[in-house]
Amino acid sequence: MITARGLTRRFGELVAVDRLDLDVRKGEVFGFLGPNGAGKTTTVRMLAALIAPTSGEATVAGQRLGAANREIRRRVGVLTETPGLYRRLSARDNLIFFAKLYRVADPAGQAERYLRLFELWDRRDAAAGSLSKGMRQKLAIARALLHEPEILFLDEPTASLDPESARTVRETIEELRSEERTIFLCTHNLDEADRLCDRVALFNQRLIVVGEPAKLREEMYGRRTVAHLVDPRPGIEDALDLPFVKGIERIDDALVVSLTDPDRENPLLVERLVELGVGVRYVNELRMSLEDLYLDLMEDDDAPA
Amino acid sequence: MHRLSAILLKEWRESLRNKMVLFGVVFLPLFFVALSVYFVVEGGRAADPIDQIVLFNASLIYFMLLPVIIPLAIAVYSIVGEKEGATLEPLLATPISDLELFLGKALASVIPALVVNWVSFGAFLGATRLFVGAFPMQALTAPWIASIFGLSPLLAFFSVLVTMLVSSRASDARAAYQFSSLAVLPGVIPLIVYSTRKTLVDLTLVGLEGAVLLVASAILLYFAIRVFSREQILTRWK
Repeated sequence: MITARGLTRRFGELVAVDRLDLDVRKGEVFGFLGPNGAGKTTTVRMLAALIAPTSGEATVAGQRLGAANREIRRRVGVLTETPGLYRRLSARDNLIFFAKLYRVADPAGQAERYLRLFELWDRRDAAAGSLSKGMRQKLAIARALLHEPEILFLDEPTASLDPESARTVRETIEELRSEERTIFLCTHNLDEADRLCDRVALFNQRLIVVGEPAKLREEMYGRRTVAHLVDPRPGIEDALDLPFVKGIERIDDALVVSLTDPDRENPLLVERLVELGVGVRYVNELRMSLEDLYLDLMEDDDAPA
Repeated sequence: MHRLSAILLKEWRESLRNKMVLFGVVFLPLFFVALSVYFVVEGGRAADPIDQIVLFNASLIYFMLLPVIIPLAIAVYSIVGEKEGATLEPLLATPISDLELFLGKALASVIPALVVNWVSFGAFLGATRLFVGAFPMQALTAPWIASIFGLSPLLAFFSVLVTMLVSSRASDARAAYQFSSLAVLPGVIPLIVYSTRKTLVDLTLVGLEGAVLLVASAILLYFAIRVFSREQILTRWK
């Protein structure tokens, strides 16, 4: 759905995006993660045909960037960092205006459909500026969806929202995913990315890594089991002589054991511990968060070569 | 056409809810009508026929100034307001063309200015009838009528284009506001020529001015669209 090859954008001496190669598949929620100033918004602006790349090429919704910019803009929806609504106009007038710009067949009908979908119908005549932050964000998402775009670019959709509003927006994204739309999600919220995204890209002016969150974690940290023990005797980690154990670390009353296939190996691990006369309180998988992965990779990226 | 009308309606809806813009559109014409009536009253009292003509010309000149000044309030806000409200990026993300955007915003400023101007002119004629009896018809000649109804749209369009050109190229909103006031100057130049004449305005002058404004506006529109840089507005404005 989106393909970029060597996409670069410079602002004078500053390289905002450096040789970005990207493939976003149809119907996936693709998380684009990076620190402030990493070039995420610039990337979205380039892919949404708002600004031109300095070099490189991209295809968005089957259209070549630079050659069919208007067609790209027709096929994508963009939620900018700020909702960017006409504050003096009513919620409905905001949507009708944009529906007309996209030449939607029935602007008023489509506006009503999305106002109802996002539970804003009761506030349809309220000035956009008088709506709560969460409502404004929902209205901005509705605006980006009015013309039923194939690809939706969401730039920090839950930033500065209260938890309740953020949850509403996340639920909306999940609903959109079920509609098979391709969603390009820029976010700082790593927990959000972990929950919503099929794949994520870590980006800091250039692409650092891309993949499914679970696979990235596995590649980076392996799979680890934590066995919480009852009164473990000293040296128990040395006695645990199983061939599939790749590494072992003792933290207080727990053993953190690196395994290859925990589903198969966990019962054998517990069995061996019991054989060694150690009580096992419970066993769980040590799940590293996307935040751990992000911070570790960003740290590596910052480290001098 | 669909997008153009969408822009027009949106601009008008917004302007009607903007007190600053409304104030400029309502207060200035009222003030100018009062001044014009005053000059007619004074003209009626003047003994010298040349002084009379100067005063009568002065009373009519306001109806060529209004279409230059009124659209500025709407036009400068039309781009700066979009940027300040962070609405420009979602707008530029739509398939709207630069010509549709420019023309839509320009017409949204020009049309109300002309309506207000002509309504004010009607109010002025009514007021002079009330206070003086009737406007001295020797001063309200065909060239003046041609100026008020034919030249003023061109003046309005020209001044709006200058304002929008300045607004879209300014590095930030404050600079746009400052420079937009200068946009009135090119539109005022022909009025200075009018006001310094001590004879009745003639059709040749009106025709000449009309032709110059028409050509200048066409060049300006072409130039404005050529230099309108979406990228620069998105990335440079603070």
